[in-house]
Amino acid sequence: MMTNHFKIAFRSLKRHKAYSFINISGLAIGIASCLIIFLVVRYELSYDTFRPSYRNIYHVITEDKGPDGTDYTPGIPFPALEALRTDFPQVKLTGLYYAYGTQVSVGDIQNSAAKKFIEETGVFFCEPEYFDIFNATWLAGNASVLKDPGQVVLAKTMAQKYFGDWKTAIGKMIRLENAMDLKVAGIIEDVPFNSDFPTSVIGSFETFKNSRYYSYTTDWGSTTSAFQVFMKMPENLPVENVQTQLKGLADKYYSNTGPHKISNSLQPLSEIHFDTRVPGLGDHVTSRSTLMTLSMIGLLIIVMACINFINLSTAQAVTRSKEIGVKKVLGSNRKQLFFQALGETNLIVLLSASLALVIAWLALPFIKHIISIHEELSLFSVQSVVFVLFIVIMVTALSGSYPALILSGFKPAAALKNRISSATIGGISLRRGLVVVQFAISQILIVGTIVAVSQMEYVRTADLGFNKEALLIVASTTDSVAQARHETFKQALLQLPEVSMASLSSDIPSSENNAGTNFAFDHRDDEDFTLYTKQGDADYFKTFGLEFAAGGPYTATDTTGSVVVNETLIRKLNIKDPQAAVGKQIRTGGGKWKTIVGVVKDFKTNSLREEVKPLLIAARKSRFCMVSLKLKSTNLAKSQQAIEKVWDKFYPEYAYRSVFMDDNIEDFYRQERQMALLYKIFSGLAIFISCLGLYGLVSFMTVQKTKEVGVRKVLGAGVGNILLLFSKEFTVLIGVAFVIAVPVSWYVMSHWLNNFAYKITISWTVFAIAMAISLIIAWISVGYKALRAALVNPVKSLRTE
Amino acid sequence: MIALNHIYKYVNQGGTRVFLLRDISLNIAQGEFISIMGPSGSGKTTLLNVMGMLDEADEGEYLFLDQPVKALKEKQRSALYKQHIGFVFQAYHLIDELTVYENIETPLLYKDYKSSERSAMVCEMLDKFNMVAKKDLFPHQLSGGQQQLVGIARAIVSKPTLLLADEPTGNLNSQQGQEIMELFKKLNSEGLTIIQVTHSEKNAAYGSRIINLSDGRIEN
Ligand SMILES: Nc1ncnc2c1ncn2[C@@H]1O[C@H](COP(=O)(O)OP(=O)(O)O)[C@@H](O)[C@H]1O
Ligand SMILES: [Mg+2]
Repeated sequence: MMTNHFKIAFRSLKRHKAYSFINISGLAIGIASCLIIFLVVRYELSYDTFRPSYRNIYHVITEDKGPDGTDYTPGIPFPALEALRTDFPQVKLTGLYYAYGTQVSVGDIQNSAAKKFIEETGVFFCEPEYFDIFNATWLAGNASVLKDPGQVVLAKTMAQKYFGDWKTAIGKMIRLENAMDLKVAGIIEDVPFNSDFPTSVIGSFETFKNSRYYSYTTDWGSTTSAFQVFMKMPENLPVENVQTQLKGLADKYYSNTGPHKISNSLQPLSEIHFDTRVPGLGDHVTSRSTLMTLSMIGLLIIVMACINFINLSTAQAVTRSKEIGVKKVLGSNRKQLFFQALGETNLIVLLSASLALVIAWLALPFIKHIISIHEELSLFSVQSVVFVLFIVIMVTALSGSYPALILSGFKPAAALKNRISSATIGGISLRRGLVVVQFAISQILIVGTIVAVSQMEYVRTADLGFNKEALLIVASTTDSVAQARHETFKQALLQLPEVSMASLSSDIPSSENNAGTNFAFDHRDDEDFTLYTKQGDADYFKTFGLEFAAGGPYTATDTTGSVVVNETLIRKLNIKDPQAAVGKQIRTGGGKWKTIVGVVKDFKTNSLREEVKPLLIAARKSRFCMVSLKLKSTNLAKSQQAIEKVWDKFYPEYAYRSVFMDDNIEDFYRQERQMALLYKIFSGLAIFISCLGLYGLVSFMTVQKTKEVGVRKVLGAGVGNILLLFSKEFTVLIGVAFVIAVPVSWYVMSHWLNNFAYKITISWTVFAIAMAISLIIAWISVGYKALRAALVNPVKSLRTE
Repeated sequence: MIALNHIYKYVNQGGTRVFLLRDISLNIAQGEFISIMGPSGSGKTTLLNVMGMLDEADEGEYLFLDQPVKALKEKQRSALYKQHIGFVFQAYHLIDELTVYENIETPLLYKDYKSSERSAMVCEMLDKFNMVAKKDLFPHQLSGGQQQLVGIARAIVSKPTLLLADEPTGNLNSQQGQEIMELFKKLNSEGLTIIQVTHSEKNAAYGSRIINLSDGRIEN
């Protein structure tokens, strides 16, 4: 019986090639998209789940409740570690210091000819206790080597990178930032990519504490996001207790007398990868809503594919009425026919699933170019097999049962006489409903894509308030040796014909850095909001093309420490005329009073996700760690080579690092850009699938209406009349879908846009475009089939009697 | 009205030429009522389709109202067809989703009548065929004879000069068939030219002339 069913199914597939092609390819694309989305979402959800104590590890974060709202930072003051150890004796605690972009020299480290690496993923410092909480596999040495200063543990790949063979690495020396020499004392297995703790170089915490290079302090007043504390909760201790206890300790730890209330709270390890309030130590944080959106798109795509299937199969049912009639006459009962039809669906779904696996396999290597996943996702795992099986069963049940019910329900007499038509098949409203759903989904996706893409375009081309053209940022460091050479290095660069302007600074105008401080203005008490600071020399304003609303920049020869502020600060201080602020004094922290010499027009101090912040720019040399160069030459690559030569002359012991401002800004919006690209790809696929479906549906209609078209032509209808007959219904359905799609997509996309402080408004043209696109797509898909139906000689279509 | 001169029609099947119509020459004057008879497969429908401009002859000359059909442009032919020709089918071919009223109205939609004209013309037909009470019913709610009446009403609502009927009584019982024939006779007496295909000698006798077809040829 079964083999008979499959034989018939196969032959029927072969006989109806076009129909089979549409069905299988549409479904395959749908399943492949779903599978890829599943793999990506699962990967994102898998971060750090391999850790045995996954459920018991917590990150102690710092909340700063101020008049402008609550700020969260992943860091905590250094002394908090010991304080917490005293207050929570039953909990295991560790601190972790993180220095990204650290220079590591290996080989002949006493000499500037040593091999230099910049570790973008960072160098970590911690105590042996770290490994009580975060597991690791030791290939050589053990956690206790981190007790002593001057020791370092390397991950296997890192050891291979530095020394060729990890087995020979033990005992060798590495030099960090030209400031610290560390001996390799342990080797661990690489941390998996799906971890937010990419600890591949781990120095002992004592080294860090003793180093003059880093600013370790026992002061409770300063918090850096680079120092973080983690806890491992014992099984019998409820987290809520620790949480409340922590809150209670806030006033003991912090001097919460001002408008700002600082306290600590717990962030579970299982939230670290998804909590967008605080950046993680890893490459990226993905919000759960992003994952939800992706999953929704996957679901929509598979729904679209199922709808296609139902529509196409019912269309096909009409042409198979005779076969069913014969079978019924020969004694097949309804149940057998039902399962035969379902079996056919199952065969198609299985074929599609196999094709989908091939598509996914081909597509997976490209995933890492689209989103931030740094290893190749593996297609074959128990979960993906289960997932594909689940999809196969779901799709078979969803899309197979209705057509099977229709097929098996044919009255044999009518079926044999070929009297099966739209009227006898019924379910017109269901089919119309499905088409409306499909159109609504594709319109929502079109609107979503247009909005996401134009927002990204808006961000990319937005006026940041400064000139980012041909700006090259050369990274230096803040250590005193490098500091001493900064000025002469800058002057040497200015000698290059390619360089027109240069500036030393702590930061570029728009960055993720948030150096905030309390401050007082005009000899009053401290204001109740945070002032953000950037340090730059006198040429900063000229180099970045910042404009002044009042006053001007400080001069290079100024020794009084004059400062420049931005318009937002003036506004927040309720000063109407910027000129009025010039000459007034301002004080940050509890420091000296400084004179404001200029007010710069607002530029974007952060990414466009955030509002412009009140800002102060001063020239504190000790914070300078980059040189920004305005280039003249159009040959940027050649200019860069010349600059690197100068660097090597001045800083032979440092690796050269530079980035173009444009790229830097681009990188800012990496996640948004990736999301926009994903939306484009998947909504394109969804729209393609709905086109296939529409084509199928029109095939269905042409089969149904062959005779009617013939009759109408005999009654005088022209080709135009027939085309209208076909498109009228679809146009109405698209209209209905539009009415559904507009509010839904408007709601969803306004929500999404709320992530940005600077955003486009969704104009009606977006909806008009979506409507136009779906109309055009529908007309094209309908047009061909309808035209063919309209051109058939009625003599032919009316002959079979 | 109709002049067929040496009309041939054929199809190529597996390399050999199969003739559907051979050397048909025929003149039909305005106001005639012609019955075409012949065994199944003898080419009656094919001939009717050629005369009704639904199909084209492969050889020979066809003059409709003295105009050479083959030489006409598609547009002119379509205009000529819409103005002069009405078709009635054995299987009625009513549109299932439309009511009696709407079925009768359909050809008028394609002939650019104004809405007021249309309703007047449809009502005239409903009156004439005694179907005013049934105007809102759907085809499947009518008997075969009634359906065929709607089919005829639909064919003549736009006042064609030539009515072509392919076995109009083929699906009806003899009582119903006779009523249709009486109706044809009446319409013919009002000036309508009618060409019908029939298998029944009795129904053929309603015509003023009988043409016998056999194997695509006219028999004398
Ligand atoms: N397009 C065609 N291709 C092949 N054979 C055809 C075609 N049209 C008609 N025939 C054949 O021509 C013959 C005449 O058909 P038809 O005019 O319908 O006969 P009748 O109406 O007298 O029964 C039949 O044998 C039919 O099968
Ligand atoms: Mg016939």
